[in-house]
This record gives sequence, structure tokens and C-alpha cells, in this order.
Amino acid sequence: MKIGMSHGAGGELMQDLISDIILSNIRNTRVNGGVGLEDLDDGASIPLGEYEIVISTDGHTIDPLFFPGGDIGKIAVAGTVNDISVMGARPIAIASAMVLSEGFRGEELERIVRSMDAVSEETGVSIITGDTKVMEKDKLDRMIITTTGIGVVKRGEIVRDSGLRPGDMIILTGSVGDHGMALMAFREGFGYDTELESDVAPVWEMVEAALSTGGVTAMKDPTRGGIANALNELAEKSGVGMVVEEERIPVKEEVLAVSEMLGIDPYEVANEGKVIIGVDPEYADEVLDAIRKTRYGGEAQIIGEVNSERHVILETRLGGRRILEAPVADPVPRVC
Amino acid sequence: MYRAHIIVEGIVQGVGFRPSVYRLADETRLTGYVRNIGNAVEIVVEGERSRLDEFIARLKTEKPPISRISNVKVDFERIGKLSFHDFSIKESSSEFSGTSVIPADVATCDLCLGEIMDEDNRRHLYPFTACTDCGPRFTVIESVPYDRERTSMREFPLCESCMEEYLNPLDRRYHAEATCCPECGPELFLYRKKVMETDDPIMRAAELLDMGKIIAFKGIGGTHLVCRADDDDAVMELRSRLGRPGQPFACMSPDLESIRRYAVVSEREEKVLKSRRRPIVVLNKSRDYCLAPSVAPGLHNIGVMLPYSGLHHVLFRYTDAPAYVMTSANRPGDPMLVRNRDIIEGLDGIADYFLLHNRRIVNRCDDSVVRFRGGEMAFIRRSRGYAPEPYDLTGISGDVSALCLGPELDVTFSVLRKGQCYVSQHIGNTSRYDTFLFLKEAVEHLMNITGTDELDVVACDLHPRFLTTGYAEEVAEELSAEILRVQHHHAHSLALMFDNMVDECICIAADGVGYGDDGTSWGGEILHCTGPEYRRLGSLMPQKMPGGDLATRYPARMLLSILGEYHDAEELREIFTRRYIHYFPHGEREIDTVIKQLESGLNVSLSTSTGRVLDAISAALNICGRRTYEGECTMKLESAAFAARGHLKIPFEVKRSKGRYILNTSGILLQVMDLLERGEDVNEIAYAGQRAVAEGLAEMAVLAAVDTGVECIGGTGGVFYNEAISLAVRDYINREGYGFIQHRNSCAGDGSVSLGQAVLASLKYG
Ligand SMILES: [Fe+3]
Ligand SMILES: [Mg+2]
Ligand SMILES: [Zn+2]
Ligand SMILES: [Zn+2]
Repeated sequence: MKIGMSHGAGGELMQDLISDIILSNIRNTRVNGGVGLEDLDDGASIPLGEYEIVISTDGHTIDPLFFPGGDIGKIAVAGTVNDISVMGARPIAIASAMVLSEGFRGEELERIVRSMDAVSEETGVSIITGDTKVMEKDKLDRMIITTTGIGVVKRGEIVRDSGLRPGDMIILTGSVGDHGMALMAFREGFGYDTELESDVAPVWEMVEAALSTGGVTAMKDPTRGGIANALNELAEKSGVGMVVEEERIPVKEEVLAVSEMLGIDPYEVANEGKVIIGVDPEYADEVLDAIRKTRYGGEAQIIGEVNSERHVILETRLGGRRILEAPVADPVPRVC
Repeated sequence: MYRAHIIVEGIVQGVGFRPSVYRLADETRLTGYVRNIGNAVEIVVEGERSRLDEFIARLKTEKPPISRISNVKVDFERIGKLSFHDFSIKESSSEFSGTSVIPADVATCDLCLGEIMDEDNRRHLYPFTACTDCGPRFTVIESVPYDRERTSMREFPLCESCMEEYLNPLDRRYHAEATCCPECGPELFLYRKKVMETDDPIMRAAELLDMGKIIAFKGIGGTHLVCRADDDDAVMELRSRLGRPGQPFACMSPDLESIRRYAVVSEREEKVLKSRRRPIVVLNKSRDYCLAPSVAPGLHNIGVMLPYSGLHHVLFRYTDAPAYVMTSANRPGDPMLVRNRDIIEGLDGIADYFLLHNRRIVNRCDDSVVRFRGGEMAFIRRSRGYAPEPYDLTGISGDVSALCLGPELDVTFSVLRKGQCYVSQHIGNTSRYDTFLFLKEAVEHLMNITGTDELDVVACDLHPRFLTTGYAEEVAEELSAEILRVQHHHAHSLALMFDNMVDECICIAADGVGYGDDGTSWGGEILHCTGPEYRRLGSLMPQKMPGGDLATRYPARMLLSILGEYHDAEELREIFTRRYIHYFPHGEREIDTVIKQLESGLNVSLSTSTGRVLDAISAALNICGRRTYEGECTMKLESAAFAARGHLKIPFEVKRSKGRYILNTSGILLQVMDLLERGEDVNEIAYAGQRAVAEGLAEMAVLAAVDTGVECIGGTGGVFYNEAISLAVRDYINREGYGFIQHRNSCAGDGSVSLGQAVLASLKYG
């Protein structure tokens, strides 16, 4: 086989690639019985004494490097902090490796590094080690940043993406589709004359608010493949189904407009500052209140309820029900 | 002396078959018994050989009207003495599992109608009156053998008078499983927030309808939303409440005379309208059309049916309405509502009143729809009155058993067993969850009543993402059956070829969409089909669909994409802001976006669909550029063309590329635009454009026929509902000296994809 773009798009094709080529060829995948590679969660863990160290790593490439609402530096730190956060762990440190292409402009790099610093400052996560390499111009398109995050959580308090139980409520912390749609619109030449902005932001504050209220059963950040992918993954890994009300999923007007013009489903495109949280119904309202008080959580909503069936069902605005499927790739529409 | 042991399969239960056997045995003076076993009928008769032979011969010719015999198996045995001294009808037994099936529902027969209208009859005005010749069958049955205790009629124990009829072999209601009377049968009631006090709910409903109200009628196999069809305000109100701005509503009229006040009825159409199956027939509107314009807006034709249940007959007694709108009560894409509580909740805010009854609808079954094209009938939807009567695949399918799950939209599924292919009732759009659940339920049920518990093959569409595909994979694994993935247009073609008993054919498969074997979307294909194989010998020119499915709902995007090859961005912007801005919900900004999208290729897929090209012509002519229901733009194009004299002609061009013939659809669109700019009449251009597409398809088929030496050409796919296209293709092909076949006893559209899948399963595994 040959790797295609859709193999990296977060959909089913990527899942296949991971299990067929990667997982099947790695033998040691777990430490001390913590969360390991084949769990395919947002990160992994190493139990140590009373704590577990949570680790997550992410290679960031993005076109364009600078976009409305952020840049690659902001995503590189926030994205990894978010992956640590949705494991239920307090993020504490970041290691960062940069590969730059020959000829990359120093001023741009500086802008990017400052963005990284800003997120690190905001979240209290230190960037404690790094690496820098340069490649020939024609071997690499501008830059790749790989960040590895480290977090800590009390032993046994890790939040998995497989913990949903029938009856749980699903909380979504804000509007969907902003990042993916902003980037697409930008690339399609809308330029800056739309109000579209990426939502890239660290989610730890919201996660911490939820965790300290209690009742959280599962978490996931709906990045590639959007909420369609994240909800399906949560359901599948937990062995449950859910019913989600379309009316309660916030979508910004401008995101909707672009989605209606391009024919791309806002549920299937990436978010970079949102969390989907499964909560024990007894705690749901309290958790929702706590999240809404945070900086990025003002629009949080309870969007649905977990059941013991198998599909993610969307109750549409018109009153019908449809199955919300995970996209094949992001954003590849169904041909027919 | 001989004993004959006879097994009769076919439609032999619930149709008065046993009493007719009883009478025949009586007349031929034979002894023995008859009984229902599983889903077949078993007869044991004893007597002289010559009289046995007479019995068997007459059995086949003197069967009751609704019955259909597919197979008779006879074993003779020489016997010393008779073991029966009379002939009797014995209790049913369920031990045998044959290939028979219970019949479809049948419209009220003349005798029952006579009773309903007879003031002195105990069934006077009783809407549930039925006998062995008429009434519900498929819609009430839970399992086989077809006996009252396995139908929803079991909740209505027969009164003494009914029981007498039921037990008398010489009565027309002998073992009429759905028989009942006002004394013992289901009851109607009118509901609005609570059950309303009224002596005569039907009369009251008619009065309310006359006042312009909208009423939900729970009928035999489903629920209708009803209002007067000559009351434009009422129809418009129904449209706005349903959120269906333009979808044509079917009508019901009391008699042909009333139909003739708004539609033209040919002799053949009349025959089908009055048949006991009572489908909706799509008729051309007449010049003095007297109904509300909003019933079938923008179309030259209208779907019409005659009353098929006692309820309808009684209703029309109380009104002078020439027709009522009777449209399926469901939310768009969802299955028709059949449970009282669902009806009341689901139609809250849509129906003003509810005319309900207390009999359960076991199998939901939508009205069937047929249309004639140049005198030949085709199904648009084959459901009530027909399903689940099997197609006979004996000789092709061997002993293979298969479940075929169809495509995604307009789904039917089929169960193939012992040479019989039972195509289900209309299921609908299975991308909707509730429709998907209905599919699963209906599959279970049809497998049950056909006695199918093992499967060799589960067939599905080639499309990897259809829910029906996933479901097929599940069932195949569960029952360790082979999975067979069938290309959509190949399935269309095989259904057509089976319908015409042809085993090699050049098929024109023209429709909206189907997943191609190259992963792109097809829909204007020339396929050479032989046995289980096909080769794609031609297609329409692949066109870009900017925004994927969005281009289906907004065909002006198709037009933009097609014209985009010939104009620069500036010209496109000018043309589209001047002529078509109203077809873009986001205005100029959207036009710009689509232009850029076509450049970058983001979410742009390719399609050879005929529907998309016809849509684009429809949009170009400002006939329809925004689809609010399936097929709208194409149907309206046909209606516009119907009004033309036909003096314009658009030439077309067929090229060869990549080993197949390609019809240059862009060229056709360019000329459409040209004629439009020159100020030609829109209807005339519609006619010419539509005809160019038709003849282009025909030309490719003829070229393919010449290349392959195949003599038969066929037309399949939803595009062949279009009468003008069907006739243009047929005439072109006939002129070139080839025969042309069309669907006759099957759907031209996706409703027969599951049948085509069954044919392939038969060819491959049979
Ligand atoms: Fe089709
Ligand atoms: Mg992640
Ligand atoms: Zn009758
Ligand atoms: Zn009775």
C-alpha cells in the first residue's frame, strides 16, 4: 500500500493504518500497567507510587502557519496540553522538537516561539527541553513542531475515553467547527474578510473545573474528524450509544455559512479548544455551571445522553433522527 | 383406488383457497382433507385415478381470484381401501416450510361494497368490512400459517354471526381471517386532544374536511394526511405545516368521473386505477383541471387513486369533493406513522384532527405508485397491493437463499428463497435512523413469513458507507453467509433484464446517483451485461460537483461547474449574478466560493449522473434551481418540455475516451445557454435539451450494440420515469433497428435494485 493524505486525517483509514502497520509491529507498549499504546487514547500513563505520569505527543504541521486565531506555535503547545488535560491530568511540562526548512525566516520563527510561550504562560505549563533541526529546502515544507507533554494525576484518577455509561450526560464546551472551517475558508481564499477564527486554546481550565466538581466519566478533545469522530470514538470504546440533540450543539453563524457554501459538515472538521465530557447525570448541571464560569467555557451545553444501544444518533432540528457517522477522512465528503 | 398427496405453493393462504378445494372435492366426489401447512397448502384426496386427474387439472384452473399457484407437487399412491369417508378442512399445521407467501392487501370487493352501502345489511357503513376476496392481508399478518390468531385481528374475537360465516365452507367469509362486523370488529374514533363524542366519526370528519381542516386518517397499512384537494388554502396550509413547499401530493377521488374533472385517463390507466391493487396512477392533468394548483405545483401530471378500503368509500358518501389530498403521514424521509400514539404525537401541529381506529398495523405499507410511458406501465413505487408477492426466479436461482438489502434511498429489500424473490414493501431513505430501524424490523418479518432462517448470500450495494452495507456485513457474519457487493447500475440493469427475460443486453442506466466501481459517482451509464458480468462501455461526461451533495440540492452549482470550463471567473460571476443569484442562499459570496472551490478542488467530486445534468438544464432555464424533494428539478423540466411544440433541436456529440463512449453534456448545456441568450422559448429549450440528453444516451447505446453485436437495448434507472426521455430513447433505438426494453413489472428506479441484487446472487451462486 501507499500512504495517502486521508491516512493522516483522523478517520477510519487512519485507524486502519495504525492498527495494521504500527501496532502490529511494536511489542512493548505499556509501562506498569498504565494506559499504553494500543489503548489509542489521547495519551499514555506511567503509574508511579501515588501518582501517574501522563504523556502525550503530537507532530504539528499546518498550512498556513499563521491563520486567523492562531499559528502553528499556539497549536503545538495548546494541542498537546489539551491531550494531557483530557486524560484528566494536570499538564506541567512540554518538550518541543522543531524541524525547520532551510531558508525559514527568523522573524516568523520568533513569532511562533512567542505564541508557544504565551500558551505556556497562560496554562502554567513549562517548556523544559527541546531540539532543533534544519532540513534542505526541497525536503520539507517550512516546518514541523513535535511537542511532548507531561502531566500528573493521582493514581487511578485518569479519565479515559472508554468510560461512558448509559445514562451519562454529554457536555460539549462550546461551538464546533471553528478551527477546521476557518482554515479551510482561509485556504480557499476568503482571506481575513471573514469573521472566522480558529478556536485554538488550552482546555485545562475547563477540564479542571469539571474534574473538581466530580462525576466525570470520559473525556475527549474533538480534533481531527470533528465531533462526529470524537463522539463515535467515545461511544465505540465505551461500548455504548448516545442520542445527541442537534439544537444544542453550538455552531457559529459564520461557520455554518461557510459550511453551507462548501458543502462540508461542521461536525466533521477539527476543533482545537473544545472538550467533550461524559458526566454522571447527578453531577451534570453542576459540572456545566462550573465549566461555564471558565474563560473558554461560556457556551458549554449538555448536548446529549448516553444509552445502551450502539449508534450515535443525532436528533435533527426538524425532528428526525439520523446516525452521525465518523467521517472516513477529514474533510472528505461522501461521494454519493 | 389411488391416493394423491398434493402440496400447493404460491399465494394460497388467506385467499379462499381451502374452501375452493373443498367445493372441488365435493364436485369430483373425492374424499380426504385440505389444510394449511406452514406457508403452503396440503391436500390429500382419494378415489379413482381419472377423477383425481380431473381434480388436479381443475385445481389449477378454478382457483380463487386472488390466489396464485407457483408450484404443485403431486405424489400418487395405490391404495387398497379408502381411509376417509368424507372431505374436510383440517386445522392448520406449521411443520412445513415451503415457498408460499401471504398475498398483498386487496381493495374492497364489489360484494363487500354492496353490503357496506346496503341499509339493511348488518355491515351497513362499516369501514372494516372484508371477505376472502378482499381486505387487508400483508398489513395484518404476524407470522405463518396465515390464520386469524397470527394476525392483528386476533384482538377482535368473532361474534356469533361472524363465526357462523367464518366456519361455513360455502360462505364467502369462510376462513376470511380479516372478517368482522360492527358487533365484533375494530372501531373508528375521531380524536382531538381526546376522543371526541360523535355518533358518526366518518361523517364528522367529512364535515371538518369540507371546512378546510386537515385530518390524519389511520388506514389499513398506514396513515394519510387528508384535506380537500380543491381547497387551495387547505392544501397550502398542509404544505406549510409539513415544510413541503412543492412535493406533489397524491389524491383520491370517489370515481373515474371525478378524476376526469382534473386529469386525463386512458383505457390502460383506467384498468389499473380500478384493479383490486389500487395503486396511485400518475395521470396527465386535463385542460379543465379543477383542483387546487398547489396539489402538484409546477407539474403537468398528478398522482391519483380510487378508494381501496371501506373507510374511503364511506367517507366519499358525505362529501361533494372531487378529490381529497391523501399523502403519507410522515416527516420527510421518516417512515409512515402507524401507531396511534405516534400518529398523535408525530403529527402534533400538522393535523387538526385524527381519525383513528383500534386495529394494529403490523406491517406498514405505503401506497404503490405507477406511471405509464407511451402506454407501458412502470412502477415508481411497488408497495401496497403488490408487496410481498414474489418474482419467480425458478430456473435461475437454483436453491440459493439470499437477503438483498438494496441501495440507500428509496430502498426495498428482497428475500430470495427456493426460486422465489420476495421484494419488500417500500422502505424509504435508510440514511434516516427510523427508516433504518423500520428496514431491520421489516427484514426480520419478511424472513419470518417466508420461513427463511438460513442464508447463503447477503447482497448489498458497492457503496462502502451505506447503512445497508454495514447491516449486510453484520447479517452475513451472523449467519455465515457470503457477502455480495453489487454495483448499483448493474443491479438496475439486471432487474430490467429479468423483467424482460433477456440474458444479454446493452443497458442504459440513467439515474441520480450510484457508487461506481471506480469510486466516483455514476448515473448515466452504458453497460454491456451478460450473465453475472458487466462492462462499462459508455457514460455521460464526468462533471464536477462542487460541494458534493450540495450540488444535488442546488443544481445551479452544477450549472456553474459545467459552464466553468468555458468562462473565466469574471464572466461566470456576471452570468450567475445576473441570472441565478436567487439559487444561491448566500448570494454573490457563494458564487465566488463555488468558483474558488472548483479551482482548488476542495470537496469537489465527479459524477456522470444524468439527473445532475437534467437538473442543470432545469436550473439554467430558471425552471427549478433548488430541489425541495427528490427529482423535483428533473420533473419540472419534463413538465416544461411537455408544453413545447418541439421545433428546436440541440445537436449532441459522442466521443471516445479512455475506452468508452462519452456524451459531451457540457456541449448540451452551452447550447442551452446560447438559445436562452437568443431569447428562445424556455419550454422549447427544455424540450430540446432533454431530448439531446436522451438521444445522446441512445446513441452511445447503439454504438455499444454495434461494437458488441448485442441486439437488445434497455433503459433503466429513475430517469426512465420521464415519459419524454423514455420515448425519445425508444424511438431513436428503434429507428436504428434495435429492440428496446423497459421495466414493466418492476420499478425503473431504486425500488428494484434489491431485485437486481437477487438476480446477481442467483447468477453467481444459483
Ligand atoms: Fe438508481
Ligand atoms: Mg488528540
Ligand atoms: Zn370482500
Ligand atoms: Zn361480527
